[in-house]
Amino acid sequence: MTILAVLVAAFPLSGSLAALVTPRARPAGWAALAGGTLALAGATLLAVHVLGGPPVRTLHDFVYVDGLGGFFLVTVALVIFLASLGSAAYLRVEEARGTMRPRQVRAYFVFFGLFAATMLGAVETGNLGLLFVLVEASTLASVVLVALEGRPAALAAGWKYVIISSLGITIALVGTLFVYYAATALPGTPDQHLTWAFLVRHASQLRVTSLRLGFLLAVVGYGTKVGLAPMHTWLPDAHAEAPGPASALLSGALLNVAMYAVIRFLAIADRGLGPAYGSHVLLVFGFLSALVGALFIVRRGDFKRLFAYSSVEHMGIIAIGLGFGGVLGLYGALLHTLNHAIGKALLFLSGGTVVLAYGTRRAERVTGVLATLPVTGAALLLGALAIVGSPPFGLFLSELTIVRGGLAAADPALVALLLLLLVIVFVAFMRTVAGMALGPRLAAVVTPYRGRPAQLTAALPLALSLLALLVLGLWIPGLVNSLIWQSIRVIR
Amino acid sequence: MQSLSAASVPGVILDLDAVLILLSAFACLGSKLFDRYLAYYGAQSVLLAVAAGTVAFVQHSPALWILAGLTLLLKGLGIPLAARHLLVRRLQLKRDAGLAAGLSFSLIVGAALCTFAYLVAGQRTLAVGLVATAVVPLSTAVVLLGALTMVVRRHAVAQLIGWLIMENGVFLGAIVLTASFPFIVEAGILFDVIAAVLIMLAMVSGLAQQLGETGTSEMRGLAE
Repeated sequence: MTILAVLVAAFPLSGSLAALVTPRARPAGWAALAGGTLALAGATLLAVHVLGGPPVRTLHDFVYVDGLGGFFLVTVALVIFLASLGSAAYLRVEEARGTMRPRQVRAYFVFFGLFAATMLGAVETGNLGLLFVLVEASTLASVVLVALEGRPAALAAGWKYVIISSLGITIALVGTLFVYYAATALPGTPDQHLTWAFLVRHASQLRVTSLRLGFLLAVVGYGTKVGLAPMHTWLPDAHAEAPGPASALLSGALLNVAMYAVIRFLAIADRGLGPAYGSHVLLVFGFLSALVGALFIVRRGDFKRLFAYSSVEHMGIIAIGLGFGGVLGLYGALLHTLNHAIGKALLFLSGGTVVLAYGTRRAERVTGVLATLPVTGAALLLGALAIVGSPPFGLFLSELTIVRGGLAAADPALVALLLLLLVIVFVAFMRTVAGMALGPRLAAVVTPYRGRPAQLTAALPLALSLLALLVLGLWIPGLVNSLIWQSIRVIR
Repeated sequence: MQSLSAASVPGVILDLDAVLILLSAFACLGSKLFDRYLAYYGAQSVLLAVAAGTVAFVQHSPALWILAGLTLLLKGLGIPLAARHLLVRRLQLKRDAGLAAGLSFSLIVGAALCTFAYLVAGQRTLAVGLVATAVVPLSTAVVLLGALTMVVRRHAVAQLIGWLIMENGVFLGAIVLTASFPFIVEAGILFDVIAAVLIMLAMVSGLAQQLGETGTSEMRGLAE
């Protein structure tokens, strides 16, 4: 199982290797897709294995997969799989049009693989130091994807992203240091003092002052990467400027990996400081993010920025669920993580196709997607309905669970505020996306994908994620359910 | 650990070294020329290597010796020389014009931040008898000064240097506060920093070609 755990993180590198051999989108895309598929299969196997027994742990816990790790592993691997399908189609269009030179195609797949591998690695380690190293590495790999198209705006967005994230992640490192320092008086080796399992077991013996400081710094630091307000400012630019499939990976996987780090620190803080402290911190950041997300969704304009602000809002909702706590709050937050990851992958992938076909990201210049590109248009419209939380899709169920968790554990006024924000987002988001999807057909716009195989590659991830969202709204599969329960036991 | 107390010779060296590291952060904050930025950063990294060497000497830790050597080679020589070659020679960047606040004002704010660091990270929050306690507030001050540099400078290179100074401050704290930080993690962090500098330098040269000048105020085309 250890070998499998290492392999899962290494599989996506197949795309990188292929791109190093040949800078062509077709073979590199296939290799990336093969890597993504294998990673998803391996992650699922690993999760099933972890469900039945103790965590997979070797090399002094540098490799450590428990229920929570397994849940995030499957979520991240699923988004990587969907995004590699999308990449294979997207990059071939860019290559055929000549908008991306071979050098850029090569760079895309090399860093796509590195980005995926570092994210999978990050949720597979029990060492908080290595977690930091891998999250920072994933930032660096994704910066290249954001800046890849080389427009001044893309370079500027990449710069903003790398500077703000590096600053944030350095704060997270200071937080990690303080948590480590809080444990240095305990028996055990230095390696152990930095591993999650040891810290959780001895949480009540940690030095309280430095644990509190460490937790706060870690939430602010990793929260920068989650996109929690007010540290979210890099997020809309980076998501808007990156190529569509890379945005899907940023929003669906990277934000969740950072949230996973926050959850790990939350679990230590809950045991060491009592549950109230961490809960208050997360509620403050959560509501601030949901509010900022909702306010900026009201503005019309660039639709990829709209999706990005929706990510800020949803990360806020997940933080609120974690802050409400209790079984319902945690269950809702974790389920919402999975749902949002799939939903956002769907939206950014279909949005990427719209950008290719219409040549613009301005929402007001895009009309009639449903009539012009039926598959993409349907995916866009249904995906938007899913992401704003309408039934019968999964996000409705998870938001409902979070609301119930709030009613059980927190002030009803907070729940009312959350519901109000959800309604605002529903109206504002649907107004923009409906304007894009409906309306008369534009004669000049045709599908960017040439040939049936390319069209299928582009449509498959959309169909799969829609199906997954529908299934998750009606019935939660046994594996997902047990993984979430196992994760709750790990957190509480 | 006892031999690193403030009264011992290594303890005094460490304290002095940390003071010099703080001074080099101030020097960066008070400078306007790119080659000065790089020179001060290089000097600071050499001093950091000395600090790591001192702790390694006291603790007989081979891993820390390697780390000190890597810091000296990569941060003390590698990054400054490579950056000087690219920025000063090739891109002909000389003088930083993108100051959001005047030099003297930023120095005063910097001094205030140092006081703040002493108040926050003084003896109160830390256990007594710790290795070289004076170093902790000093490294906190270095982190804050690095962050200040990132805030008051608009030029991309200055922001990069500010981040690197911040990172040096964290490293100083890590070496001294928790001398036993696992080597693989420290090495991983160092590797990340190198990779980050390479990527950022590539972006700076891209930006310089596209915009003519690398002020981040030129990037305001992005809506908020």
